[in-house]
Amino acid sequence: MSDMTELVEPVETGHQMRDEIRSISERSRARRQVRSRIMVVLCALALLVTAVPLVLLLFQLFNRGLPVVLHIGFYTQLPQTPSLIAPNATGGVSNAILGTLVLTLYASVMAIPVGVLVGVYLAESDSKLAATLRVISQTMAGAPSILMGLFAFSFIVRDLHVGFSAIAGSFALAVLMLPVIVISSEIAVRGVPHTLREAGLALGAKPHKVSMKIVLPAAVTGIVTGIILAISRAIGETAPVLLVIGGGYINSWKPLDPVSALPLSIYENAKSEWPSLRTEVWGIALVLVVFVFVLSLSARIWASRKQQAR
Amino acid sequence: MDQEFMAQVETKVVAPTESPERGAAAMQLKGVAVSFHGRVAVRDCTFDVTKNRVTSLIGPSGSGKTTLLRALNRLHDLTPGAKVAGQILLEGTDIYRGDITVTELRTRVGMVFQRPNPFPTMSIYENAVSGLRFNGVKKKSILDEAAETSLKSAALWDSVQSRLKVAASNLSGGEQQRLCIARALAMDPEVLLMDEPTSALDPIATLKIEELMTELKKRVTVIIVTHNMQQAARISDDCAFLLMGEDRAGELIEFDTTEKIFNNPIDPRTLDYTLGRFG
Ligand SMILES: Nc1ncnc2c1ncn2[C@@H]1O[C@H](COP(=O)(O)OP(=O)(O)OP(=O)(O)O)[C@@H](O)[C@H]1O
Ligand SMILES: [Mg+2]
Repeated sequence: MSDMTELVEPVETGHQMRDEIRSISERSRARRQVRSRIMVVLCALALLVTAVPLVLLLFQLFNRGLPVVLHIGFYTQLPQTPSLIAPNATGGVSNAILGTLVLTLYASVMAIPVGVLVGVYLAESDSKLAATLRVISQTMAGAPSILMGLFAFSFIVRDLHVGFSAIAGSFALAVLMLPVIVISSEIAVRGVPHTLREAGLALGAKPHKVSMKIVLPAAVTGIVTGIILAISRAIGETAPVLLVIGGGYINSWKPLDPVSALPLSIYENAKSEWPSLRTEVWGIALVLVVFVFVLSLSARIWASRKQQAR
Repeated sequence: MDQEFMAQVETKVVAPTESPERGAAAMQLKGVAVSFHGRVAVRDCTFDVTKNRVTSLIGPSGSGKTTLLRALNRLHDLTPGAKVAGQILLEGTDIYRGDITVTELRTRVGMVFQRPNPFPTMSIYENAVSGLRFNGVKKKSILDEAAETSLKSAALWDSVQSRLKVAASNLSGGEQQRLCIARALAMDPEVLLMDEPTSALDPIATLKIEELMTELKKRVTVIIVTHNMQQAARISDDCAFLLMGEDRAGELIEFDTTEKIFNNPIDPRTLDYTLGRFG
């Protein structure tokens, strides 16, 4: 008998609780609905504030840039200085397009292997050296990019007597890319589950084999995403190349030649007193944007393919 | 800290349960204790693992089963603060101090983990032969043969034969675990360590792996950690029961044939545990 009462008691309090909770939620429902409406309106406003400038910018870019980039000469010709007889003879920006490609290529060749290796090392080691390198790369990541240009200028252009050149510019860009690659590689490698490492070790693999054959492949999507991010950043940088590449008016891929670059052409053309050259700026900007867009898009597609294959 | 640890270890000596009639020992544990940062996780482990038998490690959560198992292929080496005391012999060679490298030890003592962990970037085939590749085997004919035999021993060959180049992650959990067993078997190990290999699997996959183990012990010596009493009773020949002492450190309570541990144990705590009387 006493067992019965003990059983009934808790059930009743349970019901009371339930009714209580229901009535509270009933009362708060109206309030919650109002709050939710306000939040929706605020979110829409925030979206508008963000989207409007972006749309305006893109409109401007395409509206003014498209007419420029539709001429084949824009890609194949070297720049010309307009004259009073031919005020619209601006030539093209073949040197800047080639220059940007060359700079990015050399910078990648320098920064990617070093960056990935250092990133892997940071993720796998707890040594003092690793801690120091981590602090250095984090500091470098936050350093203003003109500093890299200044460094490349005084060190490579002047001290090493290399002169204004593609190599000096790509060195500055490489230094800029390096911390991005190091940090993203470290994060990607740290994200690889510990159980995979152990599985490798338990099969008698040496630690370096585990790093190279198991951890690195498993981290590759993250690493490549970081590399693309670094390249996208480097492509658009003006400050570090401004001081060192020399703005060559020739098509050259040679490391020691002075070259031009798309951001540099934008900078120079925008200062020009010829309206035709100032109009050309939008075409150059459009090409630059398309470069970066294609790069990051292909990286995303590649990464998602890779992810699906798992 | 170190001396304190040694003192703790040497306070109690469990008499080794010797049973010469069982046959030769593949591995011998003598007063094995493992500590992390000076805190003892498991101690007093003394028993022989007999060749071509399945030895199960049972005991409640935290009694140090995994910790003990991982000492047997030196997986604690890379854990900062981990120390292994006592002696562990593989065919008479001390695996920590004797004339054997970690790499060699791990090729002779394979391991299957609790959660299936095939290498996600490798195909089924590459997973199966990964251990051989890590150890420098390059010849395709050897790799092909090892892949086939190991996948057959793991009862996986028939279902994956036609899709060896497919990513291992496309397999079901049970198939992935069998792939991990195949991966370990491809090294032709003498001892296979298994840490709750079926705890992430459904009953059918579990049954398949249990059947597999009975088949496997003709070729390898199996040490398996399990929480499942029926499983321990069904598949193991010998059984070690671990339990936490007052200081929360796990210790070996009893080691004997599975038959005796389950039907007629010496320590009353063993019976309580196998009957599910405490947890
Ligand atoms: N890397 C480590 N660092 C510190 N302590 C550890 C470490 N690994 C295990 N331990 C401790 O050792 C004790 C035994 O853990 P272990 O994982 O071996 O238990 P278990 O018997 O396998 O338990 P379960 O049945 O839950 O898997 C626990 O108290 C745990 O906290
Ligand atoms: Mg465990």
